[in-house]
Amino acid sequence: MESDSDISTSFDVATDQNPNTNPPETTEEQLQTLTVDETYGVADLNETSNQRGMDEAENGSVVAEVDGRPEPQIEELLAGGPPTISAVSEAVEEVLDLSSAGDTLRDDFELEADPPLSPSSSGYAGERGSSITTSASGIEEVDGDEIDEIDEAMAPLDGSGDASSDSVPWIPGKKHVDEDDASISWRKRKKHFFVLSHSGKPIYSRYGDEYKLAGFSATLQAIISFVENGGDHVKFVRAGKHQVVFLVKGPIYLVCISCTEEPYEALRGQLDLIYGQTILILTKSVNRCFEKNPKFDMTPLLGGTDAVYSSLIHSFSWNPATFLHAYTCLPLAYPTRQAAGAILQDVAESGVLFAILMCKHKVVSLVGAQKASLHPDDMLLLSNFIVSCESFRTSESFSPICLPRYNPMAFLYAYVHYLDVDTYLVLLTTSSDAFYHLKDCRIRIEMVLLKSNVLSEVQRSMLDGGLRVEDLPPLDPSPRSGFLSLHLGQERLVTESQERLKEAYLGIGGPAGLWHFIYRSIFLDQYVSSEFSPPINSSSQQKRLCRAYQKLYASMHDRGIGPHKTQFRRDENYVLLCWMTQDFELYAAFDPLADKALAIETCNRVCQWVRDVENEIFLLGASPFSWYGCCLWCCKEWRWC
Amino acid sequence: MATMGNNNLNAKLVLLGDMGAGKSSLVLRFVKGQFIEFQESTIGAAFFSQTLAVSDATVKFEIWDTAGQERYHSLAPMYYRGAAAAIIVYDITSTDSFAKAKKWVQELQKQGNPNMVMTLAGNKADLEDKRKVTTEEARVYAEENGLFFMETSAKTAINVNDIFHEIAKRLPRAQPAQNPAGMVLVDRAGERSRAAGFSYSNSIDCLRVVRRGLSSFHGETVRRFDANIRKVDPYVTDWSTFFLAL
Repeated sequence: MESDSDISTSFDVATDQNPNTNPPETTEEQLQTLTVDETYGVADLNETSNQRGMDEAENGSVVAEVDGRPEPQIEELLAGGPPTISAVSEAVEEVLDLSSAGDTLRDDFELEADPPLSPSSSGYAGERGSSITTSASGIEEVDGDEIDEIDEAMAPLDGSGDASSDSVPWIPGKKHVDEDDASISWRKRKKHFFVLSHSGKPIYSRYGDEYKLAGFSATLQAIISFVENGGDHVKFVRAGKHQVVFLVKGPIYLVCISCTEEPYEALRGQLDLIYGQTILILTKSVNRCFEKNPKFDMTPLLGGTDAVYSSLIHSFSWNPATFLHAYTCLPLAYPTRQAAGAILQDVAESGVLFAILMCKHKVVSLVGAQKASLHPDDMLLLSNFIVSCESFRTSESFSPICLPRYNPMAFLYAYVHYLDVDTYLVLLTTSSDAFYHLKDCRIRIEMVLLKSNVLSEVQRSMLDGGLRVEDLPPLDPSPRSGFLSLHLGQERLVTESQERLKEAYLGIGGPAGLWHFIYRSIFLDQYVSSEFSPPINSSSQQKRLCRAYQKLYASMHDRGIGPHKTQFRRDENYVLLCWMTQDFELYAAFDPLADKALAIETCNRVCQWVRDVENEIFLLGASPFSWYGCCLWCCKEWRWC
Repeated sequence: MATMGNNNLNAKLVLLGDMGAGKSSLVLRFVKGQFIEFQESTIGAAFFSQTLAVSDATVKFEIWDTAGQERYHSLAPMYYRGAAAAIIVYDITSTDSFAKAKKWVQELQKQGNPNMVMTLAGNKADLEDKRKVTTEEARVYAEENGLFFMETSAKTAINVNDIFHEIAKRLPRAQPAQNPAGMVLVDRAGERSRAAGFSYSNSIDCLRVVRRGLSSFHGETVRRFDANIRKVDPYVTDWSTFFLAL
C-alpha cells in the first residue's frame, strides 16, 4: 500500500490499519457519515497488481530504435520476459506475492468472496447494524448498485450513440435533489462530489440538496481544518472500500467520496477539473468575495449550472480527455480541415483571440491569435460548458467565460453559435462590445463552410465514426500511398481478403484480440481513440475500460515510482498494454487471453496506422496553441524540431 | 439606440428580470412561436432579431435576452447600454421576482438611456390560482414610474405579441409631419437637422426627443427634466404646460 505514505500522518491510523480492527474512535466518528458501503479489499488488491504489472513490463519489454528510424518499435526480449501465464493464475499469484501487506489483503480477498458479511467483521459495524439488518443489506446493496449503474453509465463512450444500442441516453442535470445525508439511497451512491467554502458552507453537491447538506459540509470542513491546524494538508482518507479525496483551492474546498477504486491521482484530477469548471463560470476573483465576507454563500452565483457539473462528472466515466490532458479531433479529409482552418485563421487576424469549430466534444479546427495558446483542459471545460447548456442551442449567444489555464482572473467573451445540431462555432475575444463584429465573422465563416462543403463533411464524419480496430491494416514495410485513408469517407482500398478478415473479427474486436486503443500525441496535445466495437459495446463495459485506462495512465505517470516506458498488464477483464515514448503514448486493450508477443506486434501496427492517417485524425500544421515546435508538418516526421 | 432609415427602424431591446421569470420564454414565443415547459437557464445573453410591421413602418428588433442569474448582474450594462427599449419581466406568482423587477427599473432609471421605452411585463398570467402579485399593485407601480405595463403569458401567448407591438409603436421614429407643435418644440431644442417630418404617437415620446435636444446645451435643465419626466402620466396630452414649467 505504497500510497499510504502520501497521506497526512493524522490519518495514517484510518488507512494503514487492517480493516478488521476498529479504527480509533475519533476518526470513526468523523468518517461515520462518509461510509456508504461495507465491502472491503478490492481497491487495495488492484493497487498492488498494478505495481506488479509495471515491474513485469520493465523486465518484459523494452523500447528499441530499429535502424535509427524515427519510428520506435516495441521489441520483445524473449530471454528477459516472464512466460505468458493465464489470467487466473496471474491473479492468484499477485495475491500470494505480496509479502508486507499480504495478510491484510488475503483477508480482504476472502471477505470479498464471501458476500454475507458478518457485521462484526467491519470497523463500521455499528453504523451498518443500526441502519439496516444483515439479511436485508445484500438486497439493498444490489439496489444501490443498480441505481448507480443507471446514473453513471448510460451514455455510450463516444457519445455518438451508434456504439451501443442497449443504453438509455444519459440525461443531464441534477438528480435525486430530494436526498440528503440521512437518506440511505444517498449514502449508497458510489461517487460523491462536494464543493464547499472554507467556512463549511455547501456550494455544490452531486447528489442531494446543497442546503440540506450543510451539516455534512461542515463535517468535511472540520476534517480539512483539523489537519491544517496541525500545519499539514490532508490528501485523502481511505475507509475500507471508500476513498475520500480532498483538494483545497484557496477558500474553496473540493471533496470526492468514492468507492469506484479509481486511483487517488485520477480522483484528484477530477476535482481539479471541477474547480476549473467553477473558475470558468465565475473567475478566480470570486475569492475576493470570501476575503470580504468569510461566510459568503456562493451557491446563488452558480445558479442554473447543475447540468454543467453533472455533464462534467459524467464525462469522467467516458471521456479520455479528462485524464489524458489532450483533446481529440473529428476525423476529416486533410483539405476539408485545411479549408476550415483557413477561414478561422482569417477571422483570428481580425481581433478574435480564439476561433474554435467543434462537433460535440471533438475539434474540427481551431485557430488562436498570435502567441495565444489554449490548454486542452480549457478546451474540455469550454466544450463541456457549451454542450451542457441547452440555451446555447436556441440562438446565438454572447457570454462571459473564463479560461482557467489562460487567465484565471479575467473574463473573456464567447460568441457561441450552433451551425447544425452538433457543430458549433466559438469565437473568444477580450472585448465586451465585440458582439456585432463576431456576428459578422460568424456569418462569413458559415458562408465559407457551407460553400466548401465542410459542414456536410463534418456530418458525414459524425455518421462514419473514427478508426475501428477491425480495420487495422497489416504491418507493411513499404511506404504508404497518401490516399490509404481507411474508413474516412474517402475511396477505400478494401480488398476481398480484408473484407473477409473483417467478418472474421466481427464480434471479437480486431486482430490479435485487440479491442480498443488510444493514441496520444505528446507534442500535438491531441489523442485519437478507436471506436467501440463488440465486445466493448455496452455503456458499462465502456465505462469500465475507461477506468482501466485511467488507472493505467495514473500508474505510468506516478512520480514516486515512474515514469515508465512500457507496461503489460493482464487481469480477468483485459490485457492492457501501455507504451510511452517522448513523442506519443499508446494505450491498448486486448482480449484477456491475448498473446503477448502478438499484442506487442499489433501495437506496432496501430502506431504505423495512426502515422499513416495522421493527416486526417489530427489537427496538424499551424498549431499556435501548442507549446512545442512540431516538425510533423514541415519535415513529415514525428520528431522534435 | 433606435436608428432610422426610410420607414425602417432598428431598435435594440433588452429583457431583464429575475431568473425563472420567463424572459427567454417570452422571446421564444415572440420570435419562434414556441413554448417549452422547462426552459433551460440562459447563459450570458442570447441574441435574437425579429421584424415587426407597425402601421406604415417596419421595426427590426435586436433582442438581448439576458440571463437572470446573479452572477451575470454586473455584466447587464453591457447588454442594456444603448438599448432603445427594455422589457422588465417578473413572475406574477413570485413577489421576489417583482421586487427584483423594481430593482431593475431603478437601475435603468439611474444608468440606462433616458429615452428608453421601458415596459413592465407580469409573466405567467395563466397561473392565476398561484398569483402573488396583484395586477393593481403592478399597475400602480408602473404608472408611478412611467412604465408601460402588461400581464403576459408565454405559455398561452396572451399579450406577447401585443407587448412587442406596443413597444414598436412607442419608439420615436420618422413619420410624415402631423403635429406642428412637436416640430416647433424639437426645433427649439436644437434638433433642427432631424426636426422636419417628426410626429409623435404620444407625449412621452415627444418629451424624450426634446430631452435629447436639451442634452446638447444645458446640463442643469436636463437634470430637472429627467426628474420631472418620470412623474408625467404617459397618456397626458397637455404636455406643453409641463414643458413650460421648466
